[in-house]
Amino acid sequence: MLSVFFVLCGTCAMAQERTITGTVMGANNAPVVSATVSQKGTKKATVTSDNGSFSLKVSGNSVVLIISSVGFTTQEFTVPAGSVSANINLADDSKQLGEVVVTALGITRQSKTLTYATQSIKPAELTGVRDPNNVLNSLSGKVANAVITQGSGGPGSGARVVLRGNRSIQQSNNALIVVDGVPINNSTNGTAGSDFGSVQGSDGASSINPDDIESMSILRGASAAALYGSQAGNGVIVITTKKGSKDKIAVTFNSGAVIEKAWSLPKVQNEYGQGLSGVYVDSLHGESWGSKLDGHTYTDFLKKQATYSPQPDNIKNFFRTGSSFNNSIGVSGGTEKMQTYLSYTNNSIAGIVPENRLLRHTITVRVTNQISKKFSTDGKITYISQDIKNKPRTGEENAPTIDIYNIPRNISNAQAAQYQFINNVGVPTAYAAYPSTNPGIYQDPYWMIYNTALNETRDRVMGFLSGKYQIVPWLSFTGRANLDRTFDKLSQIYYQGTVLWSHTGGYYAQQNIVTTQKWFDGILEGNNKITTDLKINYHAGVIYQDGKYDQTNNTADGLNVTNKFSLNYATNPNIFSTGSEVQTQALFAQANISWKDALYLDGSFRNDWNSNLPSPYSFQYYSVGGSAILSDLFKLPNSISFLKASLSYAEVGNGGQFGLLNNSYSYSAGAGNGFLSRGTTLPFPTLKPEIVKSTEASIEARVLDNRLGITATYYKSNSTNQLIQVPTPVATGYALSYLNAGNIQNTGLELVLNASPVKTRDFGWDLLVNFAFNRNKVIRLSDEIKTISIGGGYGRSATPQVSEGGSYGDMVGYQWKKNAKGQRLVNADGTPVTTNVTGELQGLIGNNSPRETMGMTNTFRYKAFSLRVLVDGRIGGVVVDGTEMNLAFSGIPEITAKYRAGGINLGGVDTNGTSISKTITAQQFWKAASGQRYGTAEFFAYSATNFRVRELSLGYDIPLHSKIFIKGARISAIARNVFWIYRGKSILDIPSLGKRTMTFDPDMTLGNGNFQGISYGTLPATRSYGLNLALNF
Amino acid sequence: MRLSKTFPNKSLLAALAGSIVLFASCTKDFKGINLDKNSIAVIGPAELPFLFSKALDVAPGAYYNYQVAQNLFADQYTQYFACEATYFASDRLTIVQNWVRAAFNPMYTDVMPQLQSIFAAADSTSAEYAMANVWWVYTFHRVTDYWGPIPYFSAGKGGTSIPYDPQDKIYADFFKRLASASTILKAHSGENHYGSYDLIYGGDVNRWYKFANSLRLRLALRVSKVDPANAKIQAEAAVAAGVMTSSAAIADPTAMTSGDDAFVQRSAKNNDGNGLQSMSDWDEFRMSASMASVLNGYQDPRLPQYFLPAKNTGVYSGLRNGLTVDQLGKVPNVAANNSHVGQRYSSTAIVDKNGSVLGSANSIATGQNVMVTAESYFNRAEGALLGWSMGGSAKDLYNLGITNSLIQWNVTNVAVQTAYINSVKTPVAPGDYLNSPAMASIPVLFGIDAATQLEQIATQKWLSLYPDGMEAWADFRRSRKLKLYPVANSDNPDITNTSTQIIRRIPFLDDEKKANAAAVTAAITLLGGPDKVTTPLWWDKN
Repeated sequence: MLSVFFVLCGTCAMAQERTITGTVMGANNAPVVSATVSQKGTKKATVTSDNGSFSLKVSGNSVVLIISSVGFTTQEFTVPAGSVSANINLADDSKQLGEVVVTALGITRQSKTLTYATQSIKPAELTGVRDPNNVLNSLSGKVANAVITQGSGGPGSGARVVLRGNRSIQQSNNALIVVDGVPINNSTNGTAGSDFGSVQGSDGASSINPDDIESMSILRGASAAALYGSQAGNGVIVITTKKGSKDKIAVTFNSGAVIEKAWSLPKVQNEYGQGLSGVYVDSLHGESWGSKLDGHTYTDFLKKQATYSPQPDNIKNFFRTGSSFNNSIGVSGGTEKMQTYLSYTNNSIAGIVPENRLLRHTITVRVTNQISKKFSTDGKITYISQDIKNKPRTGEENAPTIDIYNIPRNISNAQAAQYQFINNVGVPTAYAAYPSTNPGIYQDPYWMIYNTALNETRDRVMGFLSGKYQIVPWLSFTGRANLDRTFDKLSQIYYQGTVLWSHTGGYYAQQNIVTTQKWFDGILEGNNKITTDLKINYHAGVIYQDGKYDQTNNTADGLNVTNKFSLNYATNPNIFSTGSEVQTQALFAQANISWKDALYLDGSFRNDWNSNLPSPYSFQYYSVGGSAILSDLFKLPNSISFLKASLSYAEVGNGGQFGLLNNSYSYSAGAGNGFLSRGTTLPFPTLKPEIVKSTEASIEARVLDNRLGITATYYKSNSTNQLIQVPTPVATGYALSYLNAGNIQNTGLELVLNASPVKTRDFGWDLLVNFAFNRNKVIRLSDEIKTISIGGGYGRSATPQVSEGGSYGDMVGYQWKKNAKGQRLVNADGTPVTTNVTGELQGLIGNNSPRETMGMTNTFRYKAFSLRVLVDGRIGGVVVDGTEMNLAFSGIPEITAKYRAGGINLGGVDTNGTSISKTITAQQFWKAASGQRYGTAEFFAYSATNFRVRELSLGYDIPLHSKIFIKGARISAIARNVFWIYRGKSILDIPSLGKRTMTFDPDMTLGNGNFQGISYGTLPATRSYGLNLALNF
Repeated sequence: MRLSKTFPNKSLLAALAGSIVLFASCTKDFKGINLDKNSIAVIGPAELPFLFSKALDVAPGAYYNYQVAQNLFADQYTQYFACEATYFASDRLTIVQNWVRAAFNPMYTDVMPQLQSIFAAADSTSAEYAMANVWWVYTFHRVTDYWGPIPYFSAGKGGTSIPYDPQDKIYADFFKRLASASTILKAHSGENHYGSYDLIYGGDVNRWYKFANSLRLRLALRVSKVDPANAKIQAEAAVAAGVMTSSAAIADPTAMTSGDDAFVQRSAKNNDGNGLQSMSDWDEFRMSASMASVLNGYQDPRLPQYFLPAKNTGVYSGLRNGLTVDQLGKVPNVAANNSHVGQRYSSTAIVDKNGSVLGSANSIATGQNVMVTAESYFNRAEGALLGWSMGGSAKDLYNLGITNSLIQWNVTNVAVQTAYINSVKTPVAPGDYLNSPAMASIPVLFGIDAATQLEQIATQKWLSLYPDGMEAWADFRRSRKLKLYPVANSDNPDITNTSTQIIRRIPFLDDEKKANAAAVTAAITLLGGPDKVTTPLWWDKN
């Protein structure tokens, strides 16, 4: 098929004359890529390279060049006789507003030619008000229909970005991240799969240095991503990094300092201290159901005299003020032939949990070469070295967070800080008598901080080399090799005496993970003008991708020399290795045909061969789309400057998972010679690829001289053939089996509005609003199974699930039982009848996804000052506060201070429907409702609706004397998570107690996996303030 | 012609086109890429012994399964331990399906496939085959004694729904397998098979032979009420062939015993530790008031081995099973005021009031009880009372049962053993929060009347089976001669009177109701009653 195009266009003649070289620049001296430069009156033409340069052989003395490019006004430029250079500036074509978008595989497209919606994020929005933990968190509120949550593991934690709703039941719902055309490894080393918790690992995206980002575009739909195949069904975040400029040397320096404070901590009572039933029991009693905190003197657990008085800030004071320093320098420069970009960034972050810190160095070198007129190369290498110390755990497990939350209300930080003594052989030993609410699990939080450590070291090298050969002016070939290798070393240290980990001598574990991704592609790109009005742009290529994962765990469960944390001291060293490899080979073709630069038809096709699948390993998918620039085709009122309508359909395939086709037996060490266990998952030799099908229609309009723009997109996506792991009757010998089934549908509408209501020389006001709603429906699972739990745990608080007829993320938990009339049941003693006691199945509590999301950025500019305010929010969805559930058992939350002496009348009925008027105490109620570790979720479920001022920045462009060497200087003051505008309330209106306002931040979750909607021992969100200085030389 | 001029790099394009075709057809390595390099794809003779080890490891309740499979259910129902954790309602008779499945699932996924691989590969007259067959019976008798009908005859044979089989047919198969295994093992006597891969007897066929016969005797007693005729045949055949007769004192609980007692070896490696020890540090269970009443009353020489003195008080104290959340918060019931499980199962984190370590450093590798010699003696004593030919008088066998149990727990002083056997001390009021009376009134000294004798046999068997709550609970349900305390409170709506009602079985698993629904529906018919805790099993004729 390609040959047809070759024939059509093979008409260029050759001549011998001079060669004109030059550059084509647009506004702000940005190079114009792929502009057509032709000699008027001849067929001689060329296109500009990535840095805007061209060279063209011309004949004649004084010649006229015609320079044209989408988005710019076509211009003629005269080159006098004898001259061989031409530097041309093109003016923006305001009518075309040719925003350039980097799409799949790094292919640059004019946004008006696209048949689907994209959204661009300016780098300044990422580097302005930085989130110290992960660059992805900076997208909150800025991307339509994105739900961004943060795993609770401190700086470097994995983040979760879900575009257009959840669709995958057991695989990632995270958007694919593409850097310079190639998907990066964005796996997370460990995340919570239940409310018991885990260690939240770093993800791949957290290594991205925001200072190196040149542009970022969000491809929300499958059409946009059809060329990526695997996982692109979740949408794609396309990041293009900076490269060198030529002729001039530019230096940018950015320095930022941010301080962070714990925000949204649990609200606690400060009236009652240690004890039970209103009575002080003894110094070891961990619960705060005791007598009034009257300041009397008592003997504390340290056997010292102390006052029995409230410690209102003992939780707040435990967390320190975090700090984050970011310093980066970028140097860019070069010649016509070679350009270089160098950057170094240093991030030093101290988390709010004492001892938790991150240090990261990022070095980038990028060299672009124009080796000959036709051949150019681009090469880059980035090395990231990151150290994280003392990551806090997340969840109900032994995290310092849940430990400090459980501190008795009369114990001060100073008392708790005396967490150990050094025994007669020099070993730190816990005061065995810390007043824990559950001594088998929770202990002195200071012990956890200073005598345990979770450390993570990451070395990552990412590099690529690409070469582009301009075969003829309208056809080029680009070949690319991309390598991405991450070395992670995770270690765990527990001093002897740590609760849950108290192995003789202590515990040390070391995990080494090497992740390697190799990507090679070759892409042929062509542009042809078939007639004056009919043009075609096309790509065809081949991709080879190989991803490898190798993990070795070394565990020293018990150390021969106490508290010497090296594998050398292991009492019983244990080694376990695991790994996987997936290879994908693909052929693809994509073409965009345009008529009069106003009607566009777009199509893509891809064939994958995936090593996960059974022979012949192959599957195909495609996309088609069309769009019309109505404002160019029809005469519209003058007030409408641009109007475009698009429609597209796409399928994206995914090749399943590694190693599902056969039985495998794995070895584990143990008594005797160890054991061989057969995998408990039934082999799945008939594995089929998953397919996400999506349709999208959008309208884009700009009115009033482009002062107001609106894009509205409707979409519907159906995720089918999902690879689902389901329980199988264990008597088959297998606990789990796989099937390809399901149809999960997301439909929704996205609106993006940008406006410049005021635009004068001194004052400007820009407004950017996004609003989206998403409706998810589980249309079908399979004949065999109708409900699948996401994650597990032993039913501590709530569990999200996917159930036929419901929505993704419906959460089930135990409830306050109702009778058939809907009346709440209470026991004869007045306590609530809960379904966890009656042994009934868990009931639906709510869905964990928002129904609507919105964000609004207002930017005000006055002379050299600019003020930017981002307000965002979500409407709908339910989050269960497992933390409150746990603490309520021990009389800690603020609400538990009410009715200590009794008087709660739940107003319920007994099983016969007779009203029970017996009143109960707060202790009776909350103990029954909570159950501490296994509770009735319904009492602790909150509407997650919330609005907040997410970001605030005030910038000032320092006026500079034109003679000094600094070209630009900007200083800004920034704040993040400034204040709540509204927060949701608990879903149950409990008689006597009413509704409570949520105290936690629903954006902080146990982890960045699919187990969402439960807050349990999660770190508090943080509010940050800072200063940023940016200098350009 | 013009075309060729346009493409000065025709060869480049040709190479490109060629490479695309070649590139995309390179799938010959895919099969190998998709295999896990760290595991084994095909099982051969060298791998089979490792499968046998795995089966031995898992069936008695592996490390993390032990608590949720056994301790929170059978161990509480038989009142070895009472629950301290307020968040575990199973001691108040609530069935927590998410936990109890740990007694079901691993048997089918980590024992059955292993044994079936051996059956498929080994000669049916080999000792290996017979040992695997004995272990099959051991594994599944524990499963059926929890639930009643279970998937059995069709298990592991393919298909997506596996039918349940009635318990009487399953027991008939047990007896058939044990009789056949006994015959085969006898033919291999004096040989060693599986060697160090046999985590119970180190490959000693003679002791496997005794184990097979002892298991047959156990099961004979189990069916003695429902099928007395067959019970007698099976028991007499077992005793005639030769059951366990001799316990050895255990100096090192982590080492393999030289006696007949069956313990599966545990290690400190990779979560392969002793299941009861795994719970040591969690403060979630303590000595029951029942154990406190009997052991304190008898001044039982095993008491210091079974339990540790309460941390705060230094005395042996227990609490009643089934205390409410509120009651558990009361001072006498807190963990520090009650007895922790004994040193063999306690880590070094367990210290007394003064910080002295009470646990042992190697307790993680303490061998886990599978079957003890004493039980066979008590089974024979009971058989003798039933008029079976058991090779001794009820009294002698009873005394030998006690003696062997004492030896097994390192009470080797003959004078102490004799004094205990002849002791007329009786259980005492445990002095617990509920002011419970003594659990029973029988002394150790063997009584005169049959009723007393049966209660004594049941009580001493209960003591000697410790801490194997699964067998103790099955035996309690079968005989009902042991006088346990009523559970203090029931949260289970089907048990409204704990003086007259006990848990008699575990309801079918929710998982099975979802994944194997039709089979479970049919199984309820086989059960012969509603799928509740109150429905007795086939052999439970009380």
